[in-house]
Amino acid sequence: MGVMRLGYAHIRVTDLAEAKDHYANTMGLYETHAEGNKVYYKAWDEWDHHSVVLEEGGVGVVKYGWKVQHSTDLDDIEAKATAFGVTVDRMSKGDNPEIGDGIRFTTPSDHVFEVYHEATLVGTEVGVHNPDAFPRHLVGVGVPALDHSLITAEDPGQMDRFLSEVFGFYATERVQTSLDDDADIIATWMTSSNQIHQLAVLSGPQGKLHHFAFRLNDWNEVGRAADLFSMDDVPIDVGPTRHGITRGQTVYFFDPSGNRNEVFSGGYLAYPDRPTNVWTPEALGKGVFYHSRELNDAFTSVLT
Amino acid sequence: MPTVTIHPTGEVIYLQPGQTVLSGLYQAGFAYTVGCRRGGCAICKVDCRAGDFTYCRPVADTVISDAEQADGTCLTCRAVPEGDITIELRGEDVRLVNRFLHQINDKARQRAEAHAAANSAAGTPEKEQSWES
Ligand code: FES
Ligand SMILES: [Fe+2]
Repeated sequence: MGVMRLGYAHIRVTDLAEAKDHYANTMGLYETHAEGNKVYYKAWDEWDHHSVVLEEGGVGVVKYGWKVQHSTDLDDIEAKATAFGVTVDRMSKGDNPEIGDGIRFTTPSDHVFEVYHEATLVGTEVGVHNPDAFPRHLVGVGVPALDHSLITAEDPGQMDRFLSEVFGFYATERVQTSLDDDADIIATWMTSSNQIHQLAVLSGPQGKLHHFAFRLNDWNEVGRAADLFSMDDVPIDVGPTRHGITRGQTVYFFDPSGNRNEVFSGGYLAYPDRPTNVWTPEALGKGVFYHSRELNDAFTSVLT
Repeated sequence: MPTVTIHPTGEVIYLQPGQTVLSGLYQAGFAYTVGCRRGGCAICKVDCRAGDFTYCRPVADTVISDAEQADGTCLTCRAVPEGDITIELRGEDVRLVNRFLHQINDKARQRAEAHAAANSAAGTPEKEQSWES
């Protein structure tokens, strides 16, 4: 199946102590490891060693890790990335704590991607033997898992092709300048599975982070998350609202270093043979924020 | 009692001690282009024309470069005035979006000024006012 999911997001933060408070006590992630200026976290319903890495110094994204199903997928992706014109390096086991060997490359959008097949199995917080529905003593929002990310690139159409050809992703939704066959792609939402998107790419500067998102189950949990953000003085960017694109329910908010986070629930089941939804500029506001139907200035200009 | 004067309109806004420029302006009913409010996105930069400020948190060098540390660039969501400062926005004017909040801020400023004048007349040192709502 190739890439199964976004395995980890490695993020820069200006103040590690404040960031730890946010990701552990507001979001409810579990710290699994710390070394030097880095802290590693997993969410309660994740089984691999970590899904979020915080590194002190700066803001924005250091790199993303993508987990593949089979070790042979690494060779396959290496060959396809090389064919696309990207330089691929081998990454050794232990380059990232508790992550196996794999490959590393910089995408046409100037983001660093690592692809790996093995991670230390820690297990979910409810285990696998007669598991309960959720851990009894979740902290804060208590997010179950990392979900997806949105990055910016000067040429989202090129990233659409790159992710299709190299990762075998397909687009579930796109924003394009018109319905013409040769229209420019302004943004694309891509996945390898039934998950509505694993990575989205929006027109903007190279190498930037728009947001990374944690999964929630439904509207009630999204609303409760927003309540907790008020309790913890987390700046809310937008929401709670719905995205027209993906139909997901959302709150955008900022971590203590100004990196945008999201909690995201819903989104319909994606299939590769489902025709791709297409949004054109006159409905972009509704596509991004389904209730206000206005694209705020921050959506396209506020990045880390 | 730090104040922020906005050039060129001359609006004067009263800040609580320790309050950031961004927080003070919004609390006084003004709006301008801001984003993360946490020092990450660099959207809230203005020029500081007079007075000193410090950053209340570490600021990434991708947000404020070394040159900008010295040229009067002021990242308003992290900048805390050390005394009265004057700022000028870049490519836009502040918008008064809430007259009620502006009136409250004006009253707080006038009261703080009256306190300071009374204290200096009585020869007692100015003590820091705390925000009363
Ligand atoms: S609002 Fe983002 S840096 Fe100030
Ligand atoms: Fe998202």
